[in-house]
Amino acid sequence: MGDDFGPDLISDLPQIIIESILSRLPIRDAVRTSILSSKWRYKWASITELVFDDKCVDFDDRTLVEKDLVGFVRFITSTLFLHEGPIHKFQLISSYLQCCPVVDQWILFLSRKDVKELVIELGERAWFRAPSCLFNFKKLTHLELVRCEFEPPPFFTGFLCLKSLCLCQVLVSAEAMESLISSCPLLESLELSYFDGLALNICAPNLKYLCLEGEFKDIFLQHTPLLKSLSVAIYMSDDIAEYFEQGSTSNFIKLFGSVLRLEKLVGRIYFTKYLSIGNDPGILPVRHVSLKIIELYQVSFEDMKELLLVLRLITNAPNLTELHISGSSNTLTAVEAPDLDFWKKEYPWDCTLKRLKVAKMTDMSGLPHEMEFIKFLLANSPVLKMMSIAPFAYVMDGTLNMLIELLRFRRASAQAEMLFVQV
Amino acid sequence: MSEADMAVIKPEMMKSYIWLQTADGLIQQVEQEVAMFCPMICQEVIQKGVGSSKNYAISLPQRVNPAMLSLILDYCRFHQVPGRSNKERKSFDEKFIRMDTKRLCELTSAADSLQLKPLVDLTSRALARIIEGKTPEEIREIFHLPDDLTEEEKLEPLKNTTDDPRIRLLNRLYAKKRKELKEREKLKNAGIGEEHVDDRSVDDLLSFINGDSKMTKASKNKKKNRRRKGQEKNAFLTESMETDKMETNGLNSVGLDVEHGIDCQASPSESSKLQDMEEDILARKVEFDDGDMDDEIDPALKEKIDREVEDFARILKIDWPERMQEILSLGQERRPVHSSLNGSSSLRK
Repeated sequence: MGDDFGPDLISDLPQIIIESILSRLPIRDAVRTSILSSKWRYKWASITELVFDDKCVDFDDRTLVEKDLVGFVRFITSTLFLHEGPIHKFQLISSYLQCCPVVDQWILFLSRKDVKELVIELGERAWFRAPSCLFNFKKLTHLELVRCEFEPPPFFTGFLCLKSLCLCQVLVSAEAMESLISSCPLLESLELSYFDGLALNICAPNLKYLCLEGEFKDIFLQHTPLLKSLSVAIYMSDDIAEYFEQGSTSNFIKLFGSVLRLEKLVGRIYFTKYLSIGNDPGILPVRHVSLKIIELYQVSFEDMKELLLVLRLITNAPNLTELHISGSSNTLTAVEAPDLDFWKKEYPWDCTLKRLKVAKMTDMSGLPHEMEFIKFLLANSPVLKMMSIAPFAYVMDGTLNMLIELLRFRRASAQAEMLFVQV
Repeated sequence: MSEADMAVIKPEMMKSYIWLQTADGLIQQVEQEVAMFCPMICQEVIQKGVGSSKNYAISLPQRVNPAMLSLILDYCRFHQVPGRSNKERKSFDEKFIRMDTKRLCELTSAADSLQLKPLVDLTSRALARIIEGKTPEEIREIFHLPDDLTEEEKLEPLKNTTDDPRIRLLNRLYAKKRKELKEREKLKNAGIGEEHVDDRSVDDLLSFINGDSKMTKASKNKKKNRRRKGQEKNAFLTESMETDKMETNGLNSVGLDVEHGIDCQASPSESSKLQDMEEDILARKVEFDDGDMDDEIDPALKEKIDREVEDFARILKIDWPERMQEILSLGQERRPVHSSLNGSSSLRK
């Protein structure tokens, strides 16, 4: 060996560039550059992003060998130990590696390294309990934890630099969650998923993106004036539904009462049902003038309360440009005769949707109220460009009837394209 | 000079140019909007007021040679147009970055000295793509890196561990190899002394009886001695590789048995094994000394034996790390060590 047909091309590039190159390599390749030549021995040791995943070790899916896991743990430990300088990002996502005591040691080590982004997701068998040193990460801007038990110690004053928080399948009490949120003054993005029975009161002055998914008992956006995007998916079990019947303040108010800068709303699963619980909010005093996009899934057009709520939502957003509504697929048999008078009675609202351009209706079963709703949209959207309707997959006979009815509806917009999507 | 100053403020100039000078003295003029895309040039023009005429050309850093400057200006010329879509820009970048590695490295360096960050990012990504997934040899070859780490440094497991079980095994074997080599050196030095003594006494006797012809016979015996020992060791080593392999598996299942780099005497079973080998070598040696004296070797066989000995000596002393790296890069062989040793006489190099 020892070929020498030219000068060294790369080793004399500035360290910042070398680090930039190394940080774009998988961690394994980056560490391996230490045996390239004497100059390269420690070039990898000052990269500031350490991203570990199951590709670091040749895991064999079929025969998961203990020594591979031991090797993986050792690799991470060695890398941390040999590393020098600050670590800005540490990410560990593995489905093979289960929680083990060494993870706590890694976190302790990292807490001294000015980590800004921390992501930990381990295997499913055992939930990782966040050690108290996790709450010492003073410079943290992004935290993402999956499957962990999270209990801030009493003296915890919050992550003062935290901008983005994402907790998935995390065991935490409601008080702890609320106090965590309110003690992170710079928080802009919050994502909580798969929580059970959580009642949340959110106070976050800088919050812009909120994404909630799980069995929430109660959501009260107490102080989120800058919220731009809200995405909620609510699972409901029977006892939660019971709990709701007793409440009196409308959930709609609790959620929308103070988010006046909202631009995008996405509601899934039982969201509209959740909203409809509580007293009828009536017409809201203030309109959501920034709300441009509304997406609601699994709306039950047979529940009059839900329907009324959807209408209130839409008519309270004068600048709405895009609307996407997906019907609920459970209503294959009509329970009671539809109250079509409703449309005549409620119709005289001032409800021209002056900006609505795109409307998509999916999972339509041809229910009377669904058709009336579409009729309502078409008649009240003077600048509508496209209305797309997709029937629910199992409605086989009704599609022709649906089409016949749709043809009859009057359209306020001459340019409206009607698209009927065949499944 | 006042003339030069006024040249900056000429309002009737439709298209303004900026003058640039590369380290080799070559001066060229470039459209202003293109050149100002580079932060460094922009800074020079604004803060120091240079670049507006041939006499006051901006001196570019040494890392920017004319070829690189031309490439960089092509890049700037495309990207400084505001109306391009992201797709167009990406597509241009993909085509732009296709060049040989040498130019890519020079370009990175030049772009960095002109502080043109988007281009530096683009070239860094391309270089990372080149490095990813390659073996150390391949990387050294592409970038002309000197292979100047000592074997020991390469062998330090902690630094280059990817925790491939084969690598761990090989690290252990290397460690053993090194120890063996050291032992053998010691023995050889000790042994040669002894042999010489023996030979001299035998030689004396023989020459006393037979005259000089017997000297050659004695030396032939010496060579055969070594060869026999060589073979024995060969057999030993293949044997020990196998047992070591089994051992390694056993040890791994115990848990965190970490090889701490330089100190390779970690496991007691290994060191006892080495001791055993030592004893065996001594024992064999004694046997050979007794048995060899009566043998006659014909020249053809002698040559074959010489070659084998040379091959084997080479294997032991030099080839190990390189051979192993070679084998590792071939990938999935399960018993690299075993096969290489068995075919000692058919080794290349």
